[in-house]
Amino acid sequence: MEIFAGLMQGFALALQPANLLWCLVGVALGTVVGILPGLGPPATIAMLLPLTFLMNPASAMIMLAGIYYGAKYGGSTTSILLNVPGESASVVTCLDGYQMAKKGRAGAALGIAAIASFIAGTVGVLGLMLIAPPLARLALAFSAPEYFGLMALGLAMVVLLAGRSLLKALLSMLVGLWLAGIGTDLFSSESRFTFGRMELLSGIDFVVVAIGVFAIGEVLANLEEPAAPQTLPIPKGWRNLLPTLQDLRDCRFAFANGSIVGFLIGVLPGAGSTIASFISYGVEKAVSRRREEFGTGVIEGVAAPEGANNSETGGALVPLLTLGIPGSGTTAILLAALVLWGFKPGPLFISDNPSLFWSLVASMYIGNVMLLVLNLPLVPLFAQVLRAPAYVLFPIILGVSMVGVYSTSSSLFDVGLLAGFGLLGYLMRKLDYPNAPLILGLVLGGAMERALRQSLMMSDGSLTILFARPISAVMLSLALLILLIPVVSRVNAWRRRLLS
Amino acid sequence: MAPKIAFLIALSLAGSAFAQGFKPTRPVEVVVHTGPGGGSDVLARAVAAMIEKESLLPVRMQVVNKAGGGSAVAAAYLAEKAGDQNTIGFFTGVWLTTPLTSNAAKVTLKDLTPISRLVLEPALIAVKADAPYRTLGDFIAAAKRNPGQLKQSGGSVTSRDNVVRQLLQKASGARWVFISFPGGGERIAALLGGHVDMMVIEPEEAGQHIRAGNLRVLAQVNETRLRGFPDVPTLREAGFDVAVVPQVRGVVAPPGIPAANVAYWEDVFRRLTRTASWKKYLEDNQFEDGYQGSAELAKFYDEFTGTMRGILQEAGIKVVR
Repeated sequence: MEIFAGLMQGFALALQPANLLWCLVGVALGTVVGILPGLGPPATIAMLLPLTFLMNPASAMIMLAGIYYGAKYGGSTTSILLNVPGESASVVTCLDGYQMAKKGRAGAALGIAAIASFIAGTVGVLGLMLIAPPLARLALAFSAPEYFGLMALGLAMVVLLAGRSLLKALLSMLVGLWLAGIGTDLFSSESRFTFGRMELLSGIDFVVVAIGVFAIGEVLANLEEPAAPQTLPIPKGWRNLLPTLQDLRDCRFAFANGSIVGFLIGVLPGAGSTIASFISYGVEKAVSRRREEFGTGVIEGVAAPEGANNSETGGALVPLLTLGIPGSGTTAILLAALVLWGFKPGPLFISDNPSLFWSLVASMYIGNVMLLVLNLPLVPLFAQVLRAPAYVLFPIILGVSMVGVYSTSSSLFDVGLLAGFGLLGYLMRKLDYPNAPLILGLVLGGAMERALRQSLMMSDGSLTILFARPISAVMLSLALLILLIPVVSRVNAWRRRLLS
Repeated sequence: MAPKIAFLIALSLAGSAFAQGFKPTRPVEVVVHTGPGGGSDVLARAVAAMIEKESLLPVRMQVVNKAGGGSAVAAAYLAEKAGDQNTIGFFTGVWLTTPLTSNAAKVTLKDLTPISRLVLEPALIAVKADAPYRTLGDFIAAAKRNPGQLKQSGGSVTSRDNVVRQLLQKASGARWVFISFPGGGERIAALLGGHVDMMVIEPEEAGQHIRAGNLRVLAQVNETRLRGFPDVPTLREAGFDVAVVPQVRGVVAPPGIPAANVAYWEDVFRRLTRTASWKKYLEDNQFEDGYQGSAELAKFYDEFTGTMRGILQEAGIKVVR
């Protein structure tokens, strides 16, 4: 009842014309920022901070949060159309989304991304509203050993991302893990694999590698085919511009999976949306009946990660609002914003400022509806991008990639790295190495190494800490189960051959 | 329109610095070493907003994020801008410690032009509210009884968190483990979840957890007691006479700019620290006013670097300069 009363009060505030307007401004800006590769929500929110001093804090919070979850909607656009991940959380979307576009189903992919985002985004807000405080306590049970279990679980997904050869997938993952090791060691302040370059002291930005390997690699590979008049088939007719009923039916599990996995991982301060999207993709593939088709343009492969990265935002607001603990770059700057406006984020924040909390929650329901209404009509429009012939489209992809990378770091060194990783992506395509495991290794490597070393520092060097704690033990067992999937399917194939 | 008005107001307020002829002619680039949302970034944007509100500059300030290499990328960027009249940077203690531990970080603060020191950030030593330690002495005694068993969560090994631990360990002979977490949120989560026993925490961060009864403060890392924590002893009062190593923030400029420019910038920031907005900002964040002018700041570098070099060496961290 208390929740209902709070929510009504929240809607009363959020539905005021001014707040509706700020919500619209936030989600529209968020969509744009999400579509543009490179420029992400943290940078946008930081740039807008001085402006928010002039606003009433509730309106400002509604707008900034709108940018945060709105960006997750836009992130899939360039992933699907151009194979350029718009946000780090949309890298996985490239795997099946771009393949769908190649088959002329770009509209369906973009549409399902918006629908999955809407469903999971709404579930995320529901979770934030209903179970935030108990969940925040659960998040505190997670520490280094549990994070190690989670990362190991994520890394085990490599067997699901492998193409024909598991060995090649493992090699690709190892390169990713090595790339994750570049930089300054957190525990000893020593430089590792920096070759005396100060630009490498803080490691290689994951976005540079992802855009290089996916987008530039793809362009280079396509350039080989002489004078292809059209790169991708254009979706024809209205029916192909949006997902069909069959698509929606295929995605039923993906919607639930993305919502739940994304929210739960979002609650953990040490994980983040990129990991959430990878894990939900892995879960989707692990339980799918058409597992072999993943990576060739399966619609669930778009719905699950796009859902996960949206419900992650609801989850990430849980520790921020209930404990004052930020889990990601964006929530860190939201925390800074709250302090700058004179609030005291922390365990008493919600009870001190109920109207701010509830108007934020209400605005997120409204914002998700706005985003769906805003994004679905854009789908046919964006799908027209594919009408452009290769000689127009490829330079655009190269330009968008370079500007995207430069805008995150304003570093020409990173643009050079981008070219290098583009070549790597090209070679991997030629030699038939899957590129997703490389990204997986890079995303998880750093956090996994840190979690392992922190665990060992906690236990005075004893590995038993990883198995003695129930949550990490469960995760490690799950990881083991996933590793057994290829073995089982091989045994099955062998048995089938024996029977026939 | 607004910048023009600001310009006119600035002209009308013009003091000695303007008379010497320098004023920035295009938007001023403010270089910070963190990404958007990092400590320096937030401070720089808050300062930009205050300077605009108080019309202390004829032009706008634009924050430029040069993240990477601890602080090495931002410092090198400023060094490359030698003689540039429209660029300044916000430094922290990391700008002094990074070149100490990394060969690749070639530019030290001494290669740049000091302008002013602005902020000193005090810290608190906190434990979970249900921990058995009532005083810092209790914690140290427990650490002595169980060497290497108690744990502290914190940032990197060169961070102030670890420096405080090193100093306390040296003064008391106790030993406990320091576990690095890259994000501030993870450090507090580790303490609240009971995975570690102690943390050096910023007052603003800790305040709400203390009010909610989650954390207890054992001591404050400051020369005098903070206004928000009148009942908590300083390190010295708690019986540990160790150096208080401040977390420091301030302003530098590229090398090779004329003395008139230095005087101009010094004047802008001196006037900033006298405004009501600045005092409120310090109050809200529970920072200490650490204002120093250019000459004093240059002296501060040497003291700070010397202290840190000794502490890092004692901690077994490889020091390259």
